[in-house]
Amino acid sequence: MATPARCLSMTASGRSKSAASLAFNLSWVTPPLLWQLLFFLVPLGFLVAVTFWSVRSFRLTPDFVLANWSHILTAGFFRSAYVYTFALAALTAVLASVVAFPAAYTMAFKVGPGSRRFLIFLLVVPFFTSYPVRIYSWQVVFSPFGIVNKLLGLMSLGPLNLLNTPWVTIVGYLTLALPLVILLQTFALANVDRTLVEAAKNLGCSPLRAVITVLIPAARVGLIVAAAFAFVLAFGDYISPLLLGGSKPPTLSVLLADQVKSGNHWPRAAVIAVVMVLTLMTILLIMLGVAYGQGRRRTS
Amino acid sequence: MTPAARKWLLRAHTAALFAFVFAPLVTIAVFSFNSDRFPSLPWGGFSLDWYRAVFADATIARGLANSICVAAATAIISTFLGFCAAYVDYRFRFTGKTAFMALMTLPPTIPVVILGLAMLTFEGRIGLTGTLSGVTAGHVVLSSPFALALVRLRLADLDPNLEAASWNLGAGRWSTMRDVIVPFCFPAIVAALFLTAAISFDEFMIAWFVSGLNETLPVRLLAMLQGQVSPRINAVGTMVFAVSIALVVLAQLVIGRRLRVRTAKIGR
Amino acid sequence: MPAPSRAEGETLNLLSWPGHGDAAVVKPFEDKYHVKVVAKEYVGGEAMLALINQSPPGSYDVVLADAEYVGMLRDGGFIEQLNPADYPFGDFWPEFQKFEGHWLDGKLYSVITRFGYLGLAYRTDMLSDDDVKSYKILWDPKVKGKVGFFDWYLPSMGCLSLYSGNKPPFDITDAAFAKLKQTLFLLKPESAGFYPMAAVFSSLTNGTTAVIPGVGDWVALLLAKNGVPVSATVPAEGGLQWTESLSICSSSLKKDLAKAFIQYMASPEGQVRTGRLPAYWASIPSKAGWQKMNAEFPADAKTLRHTFSERNVMDEYKEGKIFIRKTPVKQSIETWNEAWTEFKSL
Repeated sequence: MATPARCLSMTASGRSKSAASLAFNLSWVTPPLLWQLLFFLVPLGFLVAVTFWSVRSFRLTPDFVLANWSHILTAGFFRSAYVYTFALAALTAVLASVVAFPAAYTMAFKVGPGSRRFLIFLLVVPFFTSYPVRIYSWQVVFSPFGIVNKLLGLMSLGPLNLLNTPWVTIVGYLTLALPLVILLQTFALANVDRTLVEAAKNLGCSPLRAVITVLIPAARVGLIVAAAFAFVLAFGDYISPLLLGGSKPPTLSVLLADQVKSGNHWPRAAVIAVVMVLTLMTILLIMLGVAYGQGRRRTS
Repeated sequence: MTPAARKWLLRAHTAALFAFVFAPLVTIAVFSFNSDRFPSLPWGGFSLDWYRAVFADATIARGLANSICVAAATAIISTFLGFCAAYVDYRFRFTGKTAFMALMTLPPTIPVVILGLAMLTFEGRIGLTGTLSGVTAGHVVLSSPFALALVRLRLADLDPNLEAASWNLGAGRWSTMRDVIVPFCFPAIVAALFLTAAISFDEFMIAWFVSGLNETLPVRLLAMLQGQVSPRINAVGTMVFAVSIALVVLAQLVIGRRLRVRTAKIGR
Repeated sequence: MPAPSRAEGETLNLLSWPGHGDAAVVKPFEDKYHVKVVAKEYVGGEAMLALINQSPPGSYDVVLADAEYVGMLRDGGFIEQLNPADYPFGDFWPEFQKFEGHWLDGKLYSVITRFGYLGLAYRTDMLSDDDVKSYKILWDPKVKGKVGFFDWYLPSMGCLSLYSGNKPPFDITDAAFAKLKQTLFLLKPESAGFYPMAAVFSSLTNGTTAVIPGVGDWVALLLAKNGVPVSATVPAEGGLQWTESLSICSSSLKKDLAKAFIQYMASPEGQVRTGRLPAYWASIPSKAGWQKMNAEFPADAKTLRHTFSERNVMDEYKEGKIFIRKTPVKQSIETWNEAWTEFKSL
């Protein structure tokens, strides 16, 4: 049993200086810190280092050359892949946000708590299940003899060549991002102070105007976070552009995998990876800055 | 537009969206019973052949065994690390805490293609490529933020003064942890175990880069998707879907009670 | 010291194209030696080299490679010399007993087990036999937007090189290569997509694609057998020959087992089974294998054009339209590969 000597007075934030409590504190901080350092930060840092290495007869050799960077950055196919990937990801973020909003609104405000829990459960399930196989099934649905074209045929509309286009790639991206976006938007909307919206309605706002001028700005942070996640997911996805888009044209992730598969060109793949990470970090910082920044301005 | 019409429009839109999200899963399950080797309409006839082929396929059995090993190890390690980080966030304030928390929550913002490549190059130098441990290491990085979120959410409902009170009443820090904190977090811990297991069971990109000869089931699926056409893919996909659903359902049931409380609060 | 990576249990680790670990081919071998055959699959010779370079020594016991890569495997020290007396070369057709590419400096490094021809694969309900007599069909308005590509530069660009009049197709001057690039890029408006191996099959099946250059019987025969209206042909400008062969990995710890495996695959039993591999069919070099196939699966022998009474694949070989596929000679692999990447990104 503890003795009075061990009863140290401490503040709730645990700033005690005793050695025992220091050991206690450290044993909670160290495991996750070490793991993330060793298996997350170091590999990513190593990736940056590898961009300066070279490949001699299919073998990765330590080196210091700028050739990988200059080769990739000046390559026409890299630049067009970059623009294409970025544009498609941005489009996905916007589409997902717009399409998800009415559903999130319904789930946050228009259904009972039991139904809401059930719907949330329904959304969480596909998020973790067999994404490549789901994309494969879209291939079957959109193929010239698939379900979509069969339905079009019933209406005497000619078979559309839907596969291997950017549009069907976006369908794939939406398959990936929509569950998460709907969930995040639902939570964002649900956490808005109801009284704000009711006050607006009491002051004579039409429901639509209340949504646009009061609800969306109030839920801004969550909505922007949802869009940011959709962008990240679409920007980095490999499966949809490969299986649905037919690599026509390839996105950055397809280029990256190509470099690894054909000729072991890890340094060049690493260059593409570093450029992708820098882009995503920048976009995330901007989006979060917009989300939180304007909020601060409003309350001041 | 009348409120009633608006309500039905909203519900129809939501239903359509859910149909979109679930359509691929339903299609796979349906086509897994189609006897045609090359899937396309018209329907070729009902058949259990592909399920039989899947059960007889040694590569799939091996992949499944590997996936289960990795998922179990990942669940245990990442739940532990997530718990640690959640507790740190809940209990402590120190310089560099923002950096620490950023490090803990950053992995989901990096595309898995890049994480996979980074793991491949790094683990290649330290000899972990081609091993299940190498795959587990990557999966833990990816799933511990989710464990962190679940436990942190639960801890948010624990009055911080309870812990200090326990210390002041003479219980040591470790016994407080063992007798107060952990039991309180138990539902979140169990949910985190299932959720991280589901994430790892389904993860294909990091495993594709790192697993080498010891392929996990999703890697095998991806290889089949790119290498040969076989409706075995549909059968395996349906079964993987069923397993992942089971894991996520279990996680949901365990934290279901607390969601019920929270959503009831929202609805008011 | 990192332990050699290998799958658990008593196994034979095989590095191969998709589908070669299938029980339909390896079961007799597995039963006889009480082992499991575990296959790590790759698509494309460069991917194979990448895999074998990044894997720890002892990962693989046997590697299935295409002829043009055997030299690179040997130079990298990955495969070891074989003793011809161990293998049933006497069973093989004369053209394959000392096949160029497998014998380096007079020494045997790889035993040929499968081969095939590459030209055009096409849907017979969209194109007639007359249409596909030349690669020019690829630019025909009939197939606009329906020209698919197997996502590997080597066979695709090789066939186009033949179309440009380069014989042999891989040993061309830089000027000829520049012209080949131009011809290639002209195909962009016609293209449907760039497919991994499985999608080559499914796109022809679901009609997204009407014709694919640089592929051949390995695609068409399997689809035809499953009722899809697809056929393959070698156009007038010529076609390519691919070969697959087995080698023993020098870092393997089960070299005797590896040798037994290669002997099995070269035997009539193994040959008949591998010719009818569920993933994709192929021609087999063993005459004894042909005899066994005609006896046990006469219909399949006919489809594979492996009969003795009618025109068969050896006759086509003798006609001189087939050129052996090689890696580029005067330019680097990287140059050709980059041109391919550029083409995809247009």
